[in-house]
Amino acid sequence: MKGLSLKVQAGELYGLVGPDGAGKTTAIRMLTGLVNPSAGEALVLGQSAQKGSRLREAIGYMPQQYSLYGDLSVHENLRFFGRLFGLSRREFGEREDRLLHITRLARFRDRRAEALSGGMYKKLALACALLHRPRVLVMDEPTNGVDPVSRRELWDLLYEFVSQGMAVLLATPYMDEASRCHKVGLLSEGRLLTEGSPSVLVASMGHRALFMEGPDRTALEQAIENRFGRESQGGARTLLAITPLGAGLRVLLAGDAVTSVVSWAEASPLVSTIRELGLDFEDVFLGLVAAPDASPDASSGVDSGSTPGAASSEDP
Amino acid sequence: MAGLVTRSLAMAEKEVVHITRDRQFLAFALGMPFVLILLFGYAVSFDIQDVPMVVVDQDRSKASRELVNAFTASDVFRVVAHREDPHQAESLFRSGAAKTVLVIPRGYARKLARGEESKAQLLVDGADNTSAQVALGYARAVSVTASRGELARALGRVEMPLEIRTRTLFNPRLLSSVFLVPGLMVVILVMIAVMLTALTIAREYERGSMEQLFATPLGRLEVILGKLTPYFVIGLVQVLLVLTLGVSLFDVPLRGSLVLLFVVSSLFILCMLMQGLLISVLTRNQMVASMAAMFSTFLPALLLSGFVFSLENMPTILQGIAAVLPPQYFVRALRAILLRGSGPEVIWSDVLALLAFFLVVLSVAVLRFRRSLG
Repeated sequence: MKGLSLKVQAGELYGLVGPDGAGKTTAIRMLTGLVNPSAGEALVLGQSAQKGSRLREAIGYMPQQYSLYGDLSVHENLRFFGRLFGLSRREFGEREDRLLHITRLARFRDRRAEALSGGMYKKLALACALLHRPRVLVMDEPTNGVDPVSRRELWDLLYEFVSQGMAVLLATPYMDEASRCHKVGLLSEGRLLTEGSPSVLVASMGHRALFMEGPDRTALEQAIENRFGRESQGGARTLLAITPLGAGLRVLLAGDAVTSVVSWAEASPLVSTIRELGLDFEDVFLGLVAAPDASPDASSGVDSGSTPGAASSEDP
Repeated sequence: MAGLVTRSLAMAEKEVVHITRDRQFLAFALGMPFVLILLFGYAVSFDIQDVPMVVVDQDRSKASRELVNAFTASDVFRVVAHREDPHQAESLFRSGAAKTVLVIPRGYARKLARGEESKAQLLVDGADNTSAQVALGYARAVSVTASRGELARALGRVEMPLEIRTRTLFNPRLLSSVFLVPGLMVVILVMIAVMLTALTIAREYERGSMEQLFATPLGRLEVILGKLTPYFVIGLVQVLLVLTLGVSLFDVPLRGSLVLLFVVSSLFILCMLMQGLLISVLTRNQMVASMAAMFSTFLPALLLSGFVFSLENMPTILQGIAAVLPPQYFVRALRAILLRGSGPEVIWSDVLALLAFFLVVLSVAVLRFRRSLG
């Protein structure tokens, strides 16, 4: 982690996005007090995450791996965590009923956790993390290994909690999930490249994407690399990323380079079709990894408002 | 404080559910004391009995029959065959059908009557070290008794110029089961206490649940209390089980105070739980933990406790290792309480040694047991 600092407001869903190994899990474990930063500190709700068991009562944590007890039933898992958080029998009963109802796990109350499907298991883990009504929910890749239907269900649940004022921080490697967050932070090699709302980030990047198709995809990719690969305009690289798309290529470019690329393509025998594509959130990430200096200015105004969750850690 | 109790209890109850759901574990924990005590009590015996003997009585006299009777009077030797010729006896010896051959040559009684030196021969199978030792000792005793009888007959009443009279206290028949049961207690307790606590905490790390636990208000002390209490209870149940079996099946005497016995046993169980805790905190891995537990407890309990092999005869370095480990103190205290009926004034040094081990290992384990995963 290098100088990571992020703020999550009440009623906000913050997505920490990055490839595997970017430091998402480490960042999240620092915030939950499971890993100590080598220097600096992690603050949540104004308290250091390293000490303070009172803070733990304010945080709900859902780790990436399976962390419940397979030989305990759904009810027994919930009951156990309820007791750790000091819920009375009545409080627990009410909350269990409500959580089992909204996660639609009520039918499986007496089923052992190891016999649940991936999606049901994650919902149980979510229920366990929410039992004590935390103000901040921290989730590490919550939809890992979950089928698309259950994934949608899980997101609907998250939106519901966020609309009730909970602050949610989640880590995900999936760009499509990141675009569903209110705010995202792009993490790469332990550094926060940029943060902001997904749509603002996409618009402010000024990238453009072209679809090109020709008789020989490999040769076309090679030709584009050779022609534009080392070119830059005003310090920013022209060619940001090439990814296969159907039978052709998706070429991500710096905005002002499009005219020259299009005229090159029209003259090239390797290109038979060319058209412009809409941008998505993944492009922001690809663009940033290719040219990390070209950070968009979408992060202004982030520090305003109340800050239920804030984290910072300094490079040693 | 209320939170500590609630959370420790929640932890302990969860552990009980894990234990009762795991049939194999239960069968192991409760069945093992039975199997071990029956095995060591009946099969593994250092008492020599029924050593098969072939008698070659070439003299066929009253005196020769008396000599044979002297050997067979106790249940140490059992005559399996009579042969005329020592060479015939040798084949039985080689095949293993006999472990000893008693040869009484022609003229044994005549020489005895004349007051001359009279000889009988005892062949012993040295391949079986233990029974050979006992057979030789027994033969010596028989010959001395027989000689005294002859002397008395020839000279009237005689007093031996020098005589050693031994009397064995506390275990007069030197039954090994009486001696072994306290040692067995150690073996059974280390297996449960160290092995299983090491495994149960390492398992929490391995299956990722420790991460979830550390994100709750659960404290380190509560993890330790909750995890170890059920195993402490299992350990006490096993002490009771071994005692009951030992007393009812093997006539192990219970001369000392039961309360003192359970106090010492509890302290030993605590020592072993701490050792298991330390192993699991250091390894965080079930595979390595079980190997470390095996190495650090089972072998010392078996070899360095004085359970089977007496510590006095061991090389100094092994004695040194044994001195820092709890098993020998526990075995010594148990034997003192059970067999000799000793009280606190005798075993206080052993109790102190156990207490020291408990405190040292507890502090090291707590220092190394962090709430972090890194």
